[in-house]
Amino acid sequence: MDIAFLIESAVKVLIVFGFVLAGVPLIVWMERKVIGHMQDRIGPQRVGPFGLLQTVADGIKLFFKEDLVPAGADKVVFIIAPALPVITAFLALCVIPFGDTVTVFGRQVPLQVTDVNIAVLWILGTTSMGVYGLVLGGWASNSKYPLLGGLRSSAQMISYELAQGISLVSVILMTGTLSLASIVRQQEHLWFIVPQFFAFVIYILCGIAETNRAPFDLAEAETELVAGFHTEFSSMKFALYFLAEYANMMVVSGIAISVFFGGWHGPFLPPVVWFLIKLSLFLFFYVWLRATFPRLRYDQLMAFGWKVLLPASLLNLAVTASVLALAGAR
Amino acid sequence: MTEAILFSVFSVSAVCFAVNVIFRRNAVHCALHLVGVLLSVSGLFVLLNAQFIAAIQILVYAGAIMVLFLFVVMLLNVKGESPLLTPGAAKGFGFFFAVLAFVELLWIVLSGGGEGAAHPAAALPPGFGSPAEIGRILYSTWLFPFEVTSILLLIAVIGAVVLAKRKFA
Repeated sequence: MDIAFLIESAVKVLIVFGFVLAGVPLIVWMERKVIGHMQDRIGPQRVGPFGLLQTVADGIKLFFKEDLVPAGADKVVFIIAPALPVITAFLALCVIPFGDTVTVFGRQVPLQVTDVNIAVLWILGTTSMGVYGLVLGGWASNSKYPLLGGLRSSAQMISYELAQGISLVSVILMTGTLSLASIVRQQEHLWFIVPQFFAFVIYILCGIAETNRAPFDLAEAETELVAGFHTEFSSMKFALYFLAEYANMMVVSGIAISVFFGGWHGPFLPPVVWFLIKLSLFLFFYVWLRATFPRLRYDQLMAFGWKVLLPASLLNLAVTASVLALAGAR
Repeated sequence: MTEAILFSVFSVSAVCFAVNVIFRRNAVHCALHLVGVLLSVSGLFVLLNAQFIAAIQILVYAGAIMVLFLFVVMLLNVKGESPLLTPGAAKGFGFFFAVLAFVELLWIVLSGGGEGAAHPAAALPPGFGSPAEIGRILYSTWLFPFEVTSILLLIAVIGAVVLAKRKFA
């Protein structure tokens, strides 16, 4: 392990970290603008050009708010909980390739923080750990609505994780590798969305449920649960949950791009630009969904996960495996 | 050197978390410390070149099973502990198992320190611990135990469904 490698890794970590921290306010602004226009409003426009600085202003406001810890709360868990989903989101982002290998100062630098040979498992593992932040936040608040929100999120995660994992397995069957870098490299001529369209649909539905976004945002359903698991959180603790939600959207989109949409592959433009374009389209899709669909009822959510998505993903896996076996590919 | 430091960090944290699992009064705290144990042990797996097992450990145990544990603990709102045994019986059981564990360890040490110590620098075969290699031996050398496990799990699933149905019938 030489010094150059350490510097290279540190720089890449800082780039990804900075990108997420700078990107989240931009996504929030985009979300508010897009939803505004979709609902025939204008959205934020007062702070900065086109209201671009509105989320920065909101961030500063959150930063200076009083940081409350409820009297009956479990203090230690209450303080740790908001950090967990942020940590896991950043850990997951580490293995997503955002560009081809480039040569910097005569070194071959893959544009990816690290390429582990079990990247897909790594991502599933870290995202499944992220739910602890929500569950524990709800529990530590020692208050009824947050507890219900936390319970809902844990049940929801467990249900949707299965189908999500299985939908990715059918792609892994085709590629024969768990490394995201090689999965992307294999999509030079054909994106896996074409042969694995159903897997993609299942994956993205589960991804929306995993990130707790509308129409699957049952854990924070404000019409029933005030604000769900983060009701009691104020100031930067709330901001961390907020950051985690958007960072997790980036994670889910990043995996969808790497596994189904050819990663950084694309004509004419540089690979990093292609990755960013695809990422923006996915984030727009998230916002579009939120503006379009009403929230599901809780029993509908669970029934959909277990009775539709899970059997569909298993069927897709069986068909993929059979076709590959008949074709003698592996 | 790095490996020795990482090993100490992971093993010490695993033991500390494990002690806390036993001594904490609050069931949720116990569960959280158990998550800590699982994460530390998965770190040890990585040091043993078993990245696949480490990832599965986090994904299945820490990420799914412990979430369900927490779910149940929170749903039932377990406050404090309700002793299953009288203090005297608990001490008796504790003493019995402590002696058993001690005898077992003593036996391992006296009989040559187990396989690992006998061949300290055994070279790893190529592809050791990789998903492909684990898959290959699961479907060849260990096919029978693997299939038996799957049947066991199937029985558990069917049992759960039957038990859940009976309640509403």
